Amino acid sequence: MPTLTIDNQQVTVTQGTTVLEAAEKLGISVPHFCYHKALGAVGACRMCAVTVVEGSQKGLKMSCLIPAEEGMQVTTGDERSTSFRARVGEWLMLNHPHDCPVCDEGGECQLQEMTIASGHGIRRYGGKKRTYTNQDLGSFVVQEMNRCIQCYRCVRTYQDYCGGRDFGVMGSRNRVFFGRFQPGMLQSDFSGNIIDACPTGVLTDKTYRFKSRFWDLQEAPSICPHCSLGCATIPGGRLRELQRVRSGINPKTNGYFICDRGRFGSGYVNHPERPRQARSGDQKLEITAALRQLEQKARELTDTYGPEAVLLLGSNRASLESNWLLQRWAAELGCRMPLLSAHGPRHQAAQVAAFDCSDRLATLEQVRSSDLVVLFGADPLAEAPMLAVALRQVVRAGGSVIAYDPRPLELPCEFDHQALTPLQLHELLTAEKGPEVGRLSELLQQAQRPVLVGGGDLLGATGLLQLLKLAKRVSSLQRACLLHPLLGGANSFGAALLSPAEQDDLLTRLESGRVKMLVCLETDPLLEAPAGERFAGALARLDELVVFDYLPTPLSVHASLFLPTCAPVESAGTFVNNAGRMQRFAPVIEPGLPIAVTGGGDHPPREFSLATPGDQPRPAWQLLQWLRDDNRELAHVQQQMVVKLPRLDGLADLCAGDSGLRVRNVAERCVVVEDLPEQPAGTLQLVVSPARYGSDLGSRFSAKLTPRFAPAILRLHPQDATLLELQDGEQVVLDCELGSFKFRLQLSDQLAAGCALVENSAAFPHLLPGAVLSFCSVGSEVLHV
Amino acid sequence: MTATQLLFKNRRPGETVFLSGYRATGGYHALARALREMSPDEIRQLVKASGLRGRGGAGFPTGIKWTFFPADKPNPKYLVCNCDEMEPGTYKDGELLRADPHQLVEGMIISAFALQTNVGYIFIRYAYEQQAQNLRRAIAEAKAAGYLGDNILGSGFDFELHVHGSAGRYILGEETALLNGLEGRRPNPRLKPPFPAVKGLFGRPTTVNNVETLANIPHIVTGGAHWFKDLALTVDGSGTKLYGLSGHLQVTECFELPVGIPLRQLVEEYGGGVWRDRKFKACLPGGASTPYLTAEHLDVALDFNSLEQVGSRFGTAGVTVFDDRTCMVAVTLNLIRFFARESCGWCTPCRDGLTMVRWLLETLETGQGSLEHLALLKEQLQNISGTSFCALAEGAMGPLAGLLNHFEQEIIDHIKTGRCPFDF
Amino acid sequence: MATEEEKQQVGYLDEEQIVEFIRHANQLEHPREMIIDVLRAIQKNHCWVPDEGIELTATILGLTPLEVEEVATFYDKIYRQPVGRYPIHICDSVCCWSRGGEQIANHLQQQLGIEMGQTSADGLFTLLPSCCLGSCGCAPGLMIDQCFHGHLTVESVDEMIEKLRQEATA
Repeated sequence: MPTLTIDNQQVTVTQGTTVLEAAEKLGISVPHFCYHKALGAVGACRMCAVTVVEGSQKGLKMSCLIPAEEGMQVTTGDERSTSFRARVGEWLMLNHPHDCPVCDEGGECQLQEMTIASGHGIRRYGGKKRTYTNQDLGSFVVQEMNRCIQCYRCVRTYQDYCGGRDFGVMGSRNRVFFGRFQPGMLQSDFSGNIIDACPTGVLTDKTYRFKSRFWDLQEAPSICPHCSLGCATIPGGRLRELQRVRSGINPKTNGYFICDRGRFGSGYVNHPERPRQARSGDQKLEITAALRQLEQKARELTDTYGPEAVLLLGSNRASLESNWLLQRWAAELGCRMPLLSAHGPRHQAAQVAAFDCSDRLATLEQVRSSDLVVLFGADPLAEAPMLAVALRQVVRAGGSVIAYDPRPLELPCEFDHQALTPLQLHELLTAEKGPEVGRLSELLQQAQRPVLVGGGDLLGATGLLQLLKLAKRVSSLQRACLLHPLLGGANSFGAALLSPAEQDDLLTRLESGRVKMLVCLETDPLLEAPAGERFAGALARLDELVVFDYLPTPLSVHASLFLPTCAPVESAGTFVNNAGRMQRFAPVIEPGLPIAVTGGGDHPPREFSLATPGDQPRPAWQLLQWLRDDNRELAHVQQQMVVKLPRLDGLADLCAGDSGLRVRNVAERCVVVEDLPEQPAGTLQLVVSPARYGSDLGSRFSAKLTPRFAPAILRLHPQDATLLELQDGEQVVLDCELGSFKFRLQLSDQLAAGCALVENSAAFPHLLPGAVLSFCSVGSEVLHV
Repeated sequence: MTATQLLFKNRRPGETVFLSGYRATGGYHALARALREMSPDEIRQLVKASGLRGRGGAGFPTGIKWTFFPADKPNPKYLVCNCDEMEPGTYKDGELLRADPHQLVEGMIISAFALQTNVGYIFIRYAYEQQAQNLRRAIAEAKAAGYLGDNILGSGFDFELHVHGSAGRYILGEETALLNGLEGRRPNPRLKPPFPAVKGLFGRPTTVNNVETLANIPHIVTGGAHWFKDLALTVDGSGTKLYGLSGHLQVTECFELPVGIPLRQLVEEYGGGVWRDRKFKACLPGGASTPYLTAEHLDVALDFNSLEQVGSRFGTAGVTVFDDRTCMVAVTLNLIRFFARESCGWCTPCRDGLTMVRWLLETLETGQGSLEHLALLKEQLQNISGTSFCALAEGAMGPLAGLLNHFEQEIIDHIKTGRCPFDF
Repeated sequence: MATEEEKQQVGYLDEEQIVEFIRHANQLEHPREMIIDVLRAIQKNHCWVPDEGIELTATILGLTPLEVEEVATFYDKIYRQPVGRYPIHICDSVCCWSRGGEQIANHLQQQLGIEMGQTSADGLFTLLPSCCLGSCGCAPGLMIDQCFHGHLTVESVDEMIEKLRQEATA
C-alpha cells in the first residue's frame, strides 16, 4: 500500500495502482484518451503526462503506465507537464476537422474537453490535413473517419474486450483507418459499444443521428429490461421520444459495456402503435374513470363469486414494487394470491434461483474474474448477451470455459463445447459417476473461483436444483463454487421472490371456469405463456379481461378494459436481476406522443392545448396505489415492502445509478426433484431457444433491431436429417404437443444429435423457451398431410 | 588491408561462402567446442566478459541482456535474430549474409545452446531476398551436417532454425514490433514491461539479437573474451565492427575495422576522402537516427562511449557523409520524411508530432519559413524527445537535434534569403 | 515470364500451394504467423493482392478477412492495389538522395510518363517510393522483383527499362 504525493496531496493506494488512478482518487483529473478503466492503459495517446519529481523513474512520464511507489512525488500542473500536454492536444488536432457545430458528439466529446483541458487553442500547423473516405458500417453506427485521433479505443473495445472479428485497424503511420474489410453491417452483438468508446465523433449512433444535442437530452440511470442480467444503461430522450440508450457503469453487473439488444432495443417506447389511451371496449376513458370501473367490477365479482373470480397476473416485465402492490390489492379485494408469471416453468426455475441458491449466487463481476466457468444449457448470446463478454474476460485472463448445451453455441472466446441433448444434460447433472462427470468434478475442484452457469429455460427448476447439488459437491471449505442462473426476464427473480412456493399455474386456474375477470399487469400470456394457444381458448370464458401495458401486444386489443402504463424509462422502480441484485431505475422522459409523430416528422404542430398528446400512461405502481386508495409515494411503498419482507432490506435506500444491493439470503426450501419424462420412441427432443433479437417483447417491438431479426428456421443435426431423409434448405413441418409448424430446415453439425432446434422470435412466436421438456417429430412438408 | 578480419574473413566480391568454404576456414569448430567443452553458463559468462555490445544500434551489452533470459525455464522459449536492417545508411548485415551466412547460423546455434532454447527465428527484411535464400541454403546444409536438428553433434541439444520473411516497414526493427510481426499481428511495439525475456514471442521468454552480434559469438568462443576485447582500439571498447560507408565519399563500401577507429581515418583512409574534391561537412555516424557529427569531430573514436560524449551515438556504424555543398535542412527533411512515413501510427508524438516536424522543415527548406517556425521546430524537438512510445520518434530527433545544435545558422539563412541557399 | 493473361488464369494460389499452406497451418499453434508468407505467395502469382486474395488467406489460416487485412495493409511491400508487371521501388532515403536519387526518380517519371504511385500506360511499370533498401554503398538504387539495382545513372536506368520492355514482349 504505497503512499505518494500528487500535487502536494498525499494518497495511499493499493499496490499496482497507476499514478493516473491514484490522482483520480484525489479528485485530480489528468487528461487522457487511450486509457479506459475496462480496457486498461496502452500508452498510445501520451496525453496523461505528469512530472515525477521523486521516484524510481524521474521526469516527464505517462501517468497511466507508471505504478504508484512509496514516497513518490508527482506534479500534474507544472510547466513541463502542462506544456507537453498542450502539444499533445495540438498534435491530436492536426487533422481534426472544425465541424463541431454539425457533429453529433458535440457537447459530450472528450476531445473537446481534453483539448480545452490540455490548453491547446490555436492551430499552428499549416500543412495538409489527411482525409479518408468513410465506410458504411450498417444501420447502428456512423463512421466519420476524418475526426479520428487514433486512440485505438474502438478496436480495443470491439476486438479485445468484446471479441468481434470484423472491425479493426488498418494501414500505418498517420493513415491508420478504423473500420471493416468491406463496407457493411457490423457483425458483433456488441457493436454499439464503439459508439461509447470513441472519445470523439468518429463513431456515433446512427439511430440517434442529428436528433438531439447532448445538453438538450434528458438522461437518467436505468436498468436494461431485455434480459435477466440487469445491465446498467443510460437512456436518453427528448421531445417525448426515447432517442438512444448508452451504457451505464456498474462494476457488479455489466461493467462498462452493454449489448446491441440493450442499446438498440428501446424502440418499443416510441412504437407507433403503442396504446396510450385508457378504454373500455371501444370507448375512450379518463384514466381515473377506467380505474374506478375496474375497482367496482373487481369488487362486485369477488363479492358475488368468491375469491377465485378475479385473477390478478403480475410479470417479470413489471417492477418489484408493482408486483408487490398487485399482491396487496388482491389481499384487500379478498381475492386469491396473484400469480406473478404467466410462464409456470420459468417462474419455478426463477424460484429455485431466488430461494434455494440465494447464498451462492455469482455476480457477473464474479463470473468475469472466475478461472473456470461451466455452462449448462445456457446460450449466452441468446439468453444473456453480456455474459458472453464476461466469459471472454475469463479466457483473456487465462481461465477456461466449458459449455454443455444442445445448441450450436457461438461465443466471442475459445471454449470447449459438448453438444448434449436436454435429456443428456439432465443425465450428466444427476450422474454421480462416469468419465465426463469425473473429469468435470476434478476441474471444478481444482479451480480457484469456479462458477456454474445454468440456463433456467433448458434446465428448468429440476435442472437448476441438480446444478446446485453439483456446486455443493465441488465446493470446499476454502472457497464455494458459485452459481449464475439465467432467467426469463428482467424481473423474473423479483417476481419469484415475492411468490409463495406452491402455486398452480395460470391455465389450470383459467380452465377451472371459476375465473370471471383476468387482470394482466404488463404481460401478454398470448406471447409470454408457454401454451399461448390454449390460453387464447380460455380467454373466451372470461367476462372481463383487463390489461395494463405499455406494449402494443395482441392481448391489449382483446382487452375489455385497457389501462396504459409507463415503460420502465418513464417511471421509477426496481428490478431484481438473475443474481438477486435489486437495482433501481429512474424516469428518463415523461410519457407522451413524440413530437416527431404529432408533427408528422416535420415542424411540431401549432395547435396548442394544456394537455400533452398521449400523456395518459401512468406508472403501474401509481395505478395500483390508486386502486388501493393510497396516494403515498413510491418511497413509502418501498419502506412498507421492507417491513413486510426483510429479504428486501435496503430497498428503500437504493438510488438509480448505484451498483444495487443483493437481496438477503434465505434458507433453502425442501423441494422434491421431479422425474424427467420418458422420450417416446421415434421422436426428437424439442429445443426452443430465444432468438438473439426479438424474443423478449421489448426488442420484438423495436424497429431499430430489424436488421438483426432472423427468419424462422428449424435446425437438425445432419445425422438426424439423414435418418429422416431430409435435405438442408427444404421446407419441413414440426409436429409437437402444441401444434404443427412449418420451417425451412438448416443442418448444423454443432447441434446435439437427437434434437430439433427452433427459435422464439417475431418470426416464430408460437413456441416459448423454458417450457417443460417435450418431444416432437419433423418431416418433409411435401409428405405432410 | 591490415585490420583483423573475423566477420568478413571469407568475404570475396560477388561470392557467397557456403558450408565447405566455411568449414575450410574453421567454421563450426566453435560450435563443436561450445557443445563439447563448455556449459551454457560458461558461454554466457564468456560473452559477458567479452564486452560485446549489441550491433543493432542500441549497443546494449549482449552478455547482460542474456542474463535477463531465464535459460533454466522450460521450453518453448525463443532466440530471434533481428535482420530487419532498414535504417538508412545501414547495410552491414546484408553484406555479411551476402558473403558468409553460416556465420550467423553457427552463432545462433551456440547462442541457443547458451540460452537453452530449442527454436530460433531469423526475421529478415523483404529486400534481403538473396540473403534469405543464402540463409535457407545454409540452414539446410547445417541440418544435413548435423549442426541443426535433434541431438546436435551428439550433445543431446536440439535446435531448429526458421527464416521468416517480412514485407517492409522500418518499425519491425524494434524488437517487440518484430515479435508482433513474427506472430502475424500488427507490428506495433509492445508495452514494456513485460520485457521479451519474460514474455516475448507467443508469450514465451525470448531474446532478440542482431545479425552481427550473433555472428560474433563463434569468434568469441574461439578466441576468448580478452582477445576479443583487445581487438578494439578504445579502452572500454570491444571487438571489431562492420562500418558501412555511404554518402559523399569516394569509396562507399562496408569494412570490418576495430571498434574505436577514428572517424578521420575511416573517412580518409577507407572512404578515400570526400568525393569530387569537396570538403567534409557532416556525417551521420551510425545510421539515420544518430545526431550529426561535423568536421570538428573528425578525430573522435568511433565507439559507443566516445560518441555519446560528443552528443551522438555509435548506432549501427553506418557512416553517411555529406559534403560542403549539402543543405543540412534538406538532409534533415529527408530523414524526417523517412521516420514519419515509417511510423507505425501508435503514439501521438510519432504519428502526428513527426508530421508537424515534416511540415515545419518543408516550410523552412522552401524558404517560406520564419523565425516563428524555427522556434516551433525547437519546441517540437523538446516535446518529442523522450516522450514517444518506442525509440522510432526518439531516433528521428537525433538528426533534428544535430541540425539545431550545429546548423541553426543554415536555417536562419533559409529564412533570410527566402530560399534554400544550396539551390543553384 | 508469363503474360498478364496467363497470370490471371493461374489465379492466386495453385491447388498444391493451398494444400501445403493448410498442412503447415494445421501444424502451427498460431497459424497467423503465416499471413505474410501466404500474401507474398499470392503476390508472386498475381502481382498484387486483390480482396479475394485476402479472403483466401483468411480461409487458409482460419482468420477473418479483416484480421488478414489489418496486417496486410501495414506493410508497403504487400500491394493491395493493382501494380504493373514490374513494380519499381525507388529508394528515397538519405544515402540514395545524397547521390542523386531524386534525379533518377524524376527521370523515371518523365521516361514512363507517370508520377509516383502510378502505373505506366502499357501496364508494365509502377513507380513506388521506398525507404532504404539496404544497399547504401551502391547508391542510388532501386528494387524490382526483390532484385536490387545500384549505382544508377540516367543511362543505366534507361537501359534497364528498355531491357524489361523487351523481356515483357519476348
